[in-house]
Amino acid sequence: MSAQSRRTFLRSGLKLSGLLIAVSSAPTRLLAEQAQEQISAGQIGAVLRFDEQGLATLLVPTPDMGQGMMTTSAQILADELDLDLDRVQVQLNSAIERYDAQGQATSGEFVQGAGGSLSTMVSWPQLRRAAAYARALLVSAAAAHWNAPQSQLETRAGRVHHRGNGASIGYAELVAAASQEHSTLRPNNVEPKRLAQLTRVGRDQRNVHARQIATGQPLFAGDLSVPGMLHAVIRRCPHLNGSVQSFDASAAEAMPGVVRVLPFPRVPEDRKQWRQRAAGIAVVAKSHWQALKAAQALSIDWDGSLAVEDDSVILHTKCMKALSDGEFQQLHQHGDVEAALAASAHQVDLSYYHPHWAHTCMEPHNAIADVRADSAEIWVGNQNALGVVNAVAEATGLRANQVKVNIQRMGTGFGRKWPTDYVTEAALISQQVGAPVKLQWTREDEIEQDYYNPLGAYRIRAGVDSDGNLSAWHFRVASDALLRTAAQDLPIGLVPASLGESLQIPNNISRGAWRGPQHNVAGWVIQSTLDELAEQAGIDSLQFLLRLYSGKAPLRSPNWPFVDIDTARHVALLEKVAAEADWGKSLPAGRGQGIAVHQTFHSIAAHVVEVEMRGERDFIVHRVTSAIDCGLVINPLGVRAQVEGGVIDGICAAKYGEVRFDKGVPVSNNFNSYRKLRYAEAPRRIDVHLMDHGDSEPRGTGETALPPVIPALTNAIYAASGKRVRRLPLLRAEG
Amino acid sequence: MPTIRYRLNGRPQQYDGDPTQPLLWHLRDDLGLIGSKFGCGIGACGACTVHLNGDAARSCLLPVSALADADVRTIEGLAQGDELHPLQRAWIDHDVAQCGYCQAGQIMAAAALLEKHPTPNEEQINAAMSGICRCGTYSRMRKAIASVVADGESA
Ligand code: FES
Ligand code: FES
Repeated sequence: MSAQSRRTFLRSGLKLSGLLIAVSSAPTRLLAEQAQEQISAGQIGAVLRFDEQGLATLLVPTPDMGQGMMTTSAQILADELDLDLDRVQVQLNSAIERYDAQGQATSGEFVQGAGGSLSTMVSWPQLRRAAAYARALLVSAAAAHWNAPQSQLETRAGRVHHRGNGASIGYAELVAAASQEHSTLRPNNVEPKRLAQLTRVGRDQRNVHARQIATGQPLFAGDLSVPGMLHAVIRRCPHLNGSVQSFDASAAEAMPGVVRVLPFPRVPEDRKQWRQRAAGIAVVAKSHWQALKAAQALSIDWDGSLAVEDDSVILHTKCMKALSDGEFQQLHQHGDVEAALAASAHQVDLSYYHPHWAHTCMEPHNAIADVRADSAEIWVGNQNALGVVNAVAEATGLRANQVKVNIQRMGTGFGRKWPTDYVTEAALISQQVGAPVKLQWTREDEIEQDYYNPLGAYRIRAGVDSDGNLSAWHFRVASDALLRTAAQDLPIGLVPASLGESLQIPNNISRGAWRGPQHNVAGWVIQSTLDELAEQAGIDSLQFLLRLYSGKAPLRSPNWPFVDIDTARHVALLEKVAAEADWGKSLPAGRGQGIAVHQTFHSIAAHVVEVEMRGERDFIVHRVTSAIDCGLVINPLGVRAQVEGGVIDGICAAKYGEVRFDKGVPVSNNFNSYRKLRYAEAPRRIDVHLMDHGDSEPRGTGETALPPVIPALTNAIYAASGKRVRRLPLLRAEG
Repeated sequence: MPTIRYRLNGRPQQYDGDPTQPLLWHLRDDLGLIGSKFGCGIGACGACTVHLNGDAARSCLLPVSALADADVRTIEGLAQGDELHPLQRAWIDHDVAQCGYCQAGQIMAAAALLEKHPTPNEEQINAAMSGICRCGTYSRMRKAIASVVADGESA
């Protein structure tokens, strides 16, 4: 077929199909909308597209923030479709919309978002079904083309092969015919391959965008531009829950390139309610640099009076005091804790404290918005595609079906890119200036206007009986959030007497999800306490944990996602890391090992950390031995990356994580005052082991490794230095 | 404003705009070279790292006025045509990138180091790799750099 006629062929294919498989000249959104009606089994929109040269693009629906969902999704699709991943492109699908009776964009079974370490779990069945259906359509079209029985046909590397006569035909050439097969072949009649038939799942797959990343190609929203685009910067109120009292924009307005100055009030006005947008003044200019310079030239009087009590020193004192005299809410109670404590052979009564952590997403938030009278188009990296659609519709007064959202790769998200404040700001600015606008946050904005990981003060009274078994557990937590997880988590359920209590002490600090919400700190407090109990009872930490988790019946977790917990899996993880790390080996003075295990949502991880002290408080980590139990592993290389990254993120948070508030102003607001772990401080070696229990379904990985690495680290620091760590961060600036 | 002349990825370049504009925004907004990233604006994260006369430099702090007669290389100019720089190759082979946002800066930092010290010791590597990676890809970077150094030694 000549190039010309081939193009025509494909074009006519589009006209006939506009479906699951279609050519690139049509808007993706249209394809997605049409396709989702066709794929009742999948709800994920188009999965495969061919351009006019016949090159295939896999369309993946789940946002990627470094957790590798584009790669994992592409791997699943390619396996089911029999495509060679090295010879296809991979792209993120735009937001796939369906609408409820109120006109809001709403997801079906398939949530196009990244949170709760759910992406792989949720994508796995849906992607396979959709891809299996696409493959069945192609085979069916080939069967008709050759007038051959389907049993004679097989698919390999993007082609359908005829076993009888050795002929083959490429998928691209089958597009038009395949799309007509929709009428006879229904998705519900197509079964995905059996696990044993999959050849790519379970094999290492490198990041599908590795080359683009290494060569600096545009992948992120901030890398894009649209014709006529202006640039915006917002000078935001530095005070928590503050507002603009008055401002003078005359100097800024006179500066080169400046187009408009726009005040932004806090939304909602009631400052007791969760902040959707911060107060500030936006400057719109021809370039980012002009906007930034002019924003700095604004003269603004802020009202910061509301939050002067929200000061790091006061917050700490208040929460620690509440541990003894606060009125706690009882979340869990089982047996008589006081009697069990009194009867125990060894007791501890411990307090812990950690301050707020900021997300410090590597890519400061940004978005491009092009809002017209009756439509809006958005380019943004966000974890929640439909959340963006609805938020932009609400902010602009448009209907959700007038909003098109192109989700881009994120330079990390960690939970912070679930909210939509930065997107609605861009949309409102574009609407007001009547031009496309790129809004770019500064690093200071990103930290000051964060939704922080909550602070926490804890008191744990616990006892061990004369046989060395945990016999009493009384757990209290006071925080600016109502922290349920820690107060209800294991070892509750494994102890004869337990009590879990929580107290919320409100302030003006906005909080939100931070990688492994609540678990990120619960793991530290619980596993540190268990380490102290083991020592009190004179039992090796590993043996104490094994005794605690062994021989217990599965129990239902009271924490989201309310799964059955099988602590035999904790035991297997502990035994694995202990064996691999040579637990208990003799080490020179100043070195020590620590061990911990924790379940976060569906998955569990354990680590042994080996540290060497460098002075009083500083240390280096020589080696981390990790094991993760995340069900069926689709991409071992990717799972290892998530564990390595979680380990480093956890050590980083433990070492430096602290937003300091000075009379209501977050003062650690860039990387000079909010330090991060760097190359030279990173563990010399991280060995990751993947548990194989023969599971047939994948579970999450992105958030699993972090919670247990912090207690493994602080327990190691104790072993190395004899000093218990009951307050984070390890390297505190002051106080 | 006087015209500023410099070389960018081997080609002559001139600039007549605001001389205080940092090179980073000149690259991204004026020239569409978006490989260098914004991360902090204060020289602390390394996402914006380019080469200035062969040395690693943080382009967010470098006003265009400082570029007169300088030689600037960005990530876009690191490969020789289709032939990737050995570090780019190693970054792909070792699957270093997670989100990828910091990686252009990391590769540029490593490339400047290896040009000066083809067989650096650990201290030199630690000092040169001073950027931040929020995904925590440091151990894979370590392996990628080591592989390029080893290849250089055996060549
Ligand atoms: S943006 Fe230049 S060092 Fe961070
Ligand atoms: S790869 Fe994501 S910040 Fe480095």
